[in-house]
Amino acid sequence: MADENLSGEAVEGTPETTDEPSLFGSLLAPRYLVGLLGVVLFAVLPFVGVSTTQLLVLIGALYFGLFAMSWDTVSGYTGEISFGHAIFFAVGGYTSALLNLGHGVTPTLSIPAGVVIAAVAGVLIGVPALRLRGPYLSLVTLVAPLILLQVFIVYGGIFGGELGLSSPASLVTADEFELVVVANYYIALGLFLAVMLGLLLLMRSGLGSVLTAIREDEDAVAAAGLDVAKFKVFAFVLSAAVGGLAGAMFVHTPVGSPQPSQLLGLIVSIEVLIAAILGGMGTIVGAGLGGVFFYFTNDLLNQQDATIPLVDVGINEASLLLFALLAMVIVYFLPQGIFPWAIRTGRRGLRRARGGETVATDGGRDADGAATTDDTTNPIEQTAERYRRALDALNDRFDGGDDE
Amino acid sequence: MVDVANIVINGVVISSLYALVAIGFTMIFGVGGTINLAHGAVITIGAFAAYYVTTAGFGIWAGVLAAIAVPALFSVLLYKGFAERRSDNIIVVMILTLLASIVVEEVVRIVEGSQPRAIPALVSGNTEILGNAVQNNLLVAVALSWVLIAGLFAFINYSKTGKAILATSMSPRGAALVGIESGRINLYTWAIAGVLAGLAGLFLGSYQTANWAMGREPLILSFSIVVLGGLGSIRGSLVAAYVIGFLEVITTSAIDPRLSGLAGLVILVLVLLVRPEGLFGRELAEA
Repeated sequence: MADENLSGEAVEGTPETTDEPSLFGSLLAPRYLVGLLGVVLFAVLPFVGVSTTQLLVLIGALYFGLFAMSWDTVSGYTGEISFGHAIFFAVGGYTSALLNLGHGVTPTLSIPAGVVIAAVAGVLIGVPALRLRGPYLSLVTLVAPLILLQVFIVYGGIFGGELGLSSPASLVTADEFELVVVANYYIALGLFLAVMLGLLLLMRSGLGSVLTAIREDEDAVAAAGLDVAKFKVFAFVLSAAVGGLAGAMFVHTPVGSPQPSQLLGLIVSIEVLIAAILGGMGTIVGAGLGGVFFYFTNDLLNQQDATIPLVDVGINEASLLLFALLAMVIVYFLPQGIFPWAIRTGRRGLRRARGGETVATDGGRDADGAATTDDTTNPIEQTAERYRRALDALNDRFDGGDDE
Repeated sequence: MVDVANIVINGVVISSLYALVAIGFTMIFGVGGTINLAHGAVITIGAFAAYYVTTAGFGIWAGVLAAIAVPALFSVLLYKGFAERRSDNIIVVMILTLLASIVVEEVVRIVEGSQPRAIPALVSGNTEILGNAVQNNLLVAVALSWVLIAGLFAFINYSKTGKAILATSMSPRGAALVGIESGRINLYTWAIAGVLAGLAGLFLGSYQTANWAMGREPLILSFSIVVLGGLGSIRGSLVAAYVIGFLEVITTSAIDPRLSGLAGLVILVLVLLVRPEGLFGRELAEA
């Protein structure tokens, strides 16, 4: 329910009894102002002396943020942790690239085709979700991209094996490379914001509530007469389509190309998972920002020429090591992620700045926000609980079977 | 013509090593409910501990001791540092162990580079079996694997501590009620798993080679093995290790080397879809 907390709505109180603030009023809440400021900041970046190379990195980062949001759609909300989300990026990216390279289809048509095929892959991965829960489904998601990679290697003639395919046609063509980069940057930013907004609206709607409820207690949702399987498959398909879109767009940018190392490798799935959890699982915004931050920081570390003192190892060589260590510290101390923590800290800071008054900007509805965000309501805890239940259920079945 | 004898020999060797890895993995899961994604890194640590000790001139038997002690210590540290403190949260432990394995891999890659390293054999010479010359070192590996596994069965079923491990895996609450400290039991389990994986790493390093990513394939095959055998079942893992090991050797040597790893993965998906509880279910209770 962390997303509900972040949206400032009362968690335990019934929403009907509190006054709904006007839309305008809630848009003026500090977190939205900060968000708006962030959007403006991203929008003006090309005009404030950011170099073309840095813009290229940001394009990659924005698409990586899209990957992370697509992961969050299924894993953060339904609690089915996907360890192999790269399969959807790869299906989207490779479909679009193959159509473009082999059949001369323009990117404007091949990208939607990539999205459709990725959605089909989402159905294929989502269907086991009808039978499997918790860690077992996670293992299926872990294995699926590994199998796809083997297929790519065996049919190297078509899929280019471990080296991948050559870059397909660019989405934007212009005489000046700088112009291409700037155009790509705005396309990436626009897509990032549009998907973020779309997913946020969807997750704040009834659908989001059902998915969150599945994460909390799947059996209760089924008992309420809702078809859990249908919702889970839908979440997978939605997530796969978004991931496929990101992958398909990404291969047509100057930074991305259809290679396993960029789209399909085990490390891609793991990086997406780490990024989304660092940012904040089950929040969409947190996952998206986590993705941008991860890609950007990783690249920044890769660019450093300096060496780490004492051990005499280049920072660029140790970038993944440094990131893993950083992620470890954050996951250990802030299992809910940075974004929810920042919002809460900011909110508490604001209250203190106003002289300890308990009425917050949005009509006092989150006066006890800090109290309601204890660890038992965070998505990771709930997912862990789901896993435990799935294992216990299996255990019980066997204990029962042995008695007979 | 496919060399059957060669397939049998390679299958037995590789399966007996996978069994060591998978049994530790399944025990940690059965007792503590933790999926330890750093189990592959334990293999790497075992191999490189042996490599460093032997290249420092202490001889291979000191290397064997290192391949037992260092991975066990690392495994215990993983438990103390992550699994115990975050025992209420499986996902966080999974992610922390995943990050720990990335850290180990990266440290080895940075220090050693990606060049494969050879670990010297424990014993020299060859023995002729079925018309093939087999390194004595591999025979030692297979024999040691069986001795260790038989010893583990005896320990679990007949010693007091072993029975406590069994009891904890059957019902942590019940075990706690009769005065078994689950923390200590978990610690033993992680240490045992560390020793088994470390020794597997030592022999994988001398049979194939040791490199920074050497733990990945055994870990992923361990998933297949453990799921096929049934999560938490030692006996299931032992049987499944041989099934998966032989499938792996048959597909790579008789069909196509590029299919490496694929057989295990396909089996994993099929088992999960058809019979998620595996061959032997979750019956560490009757190991």
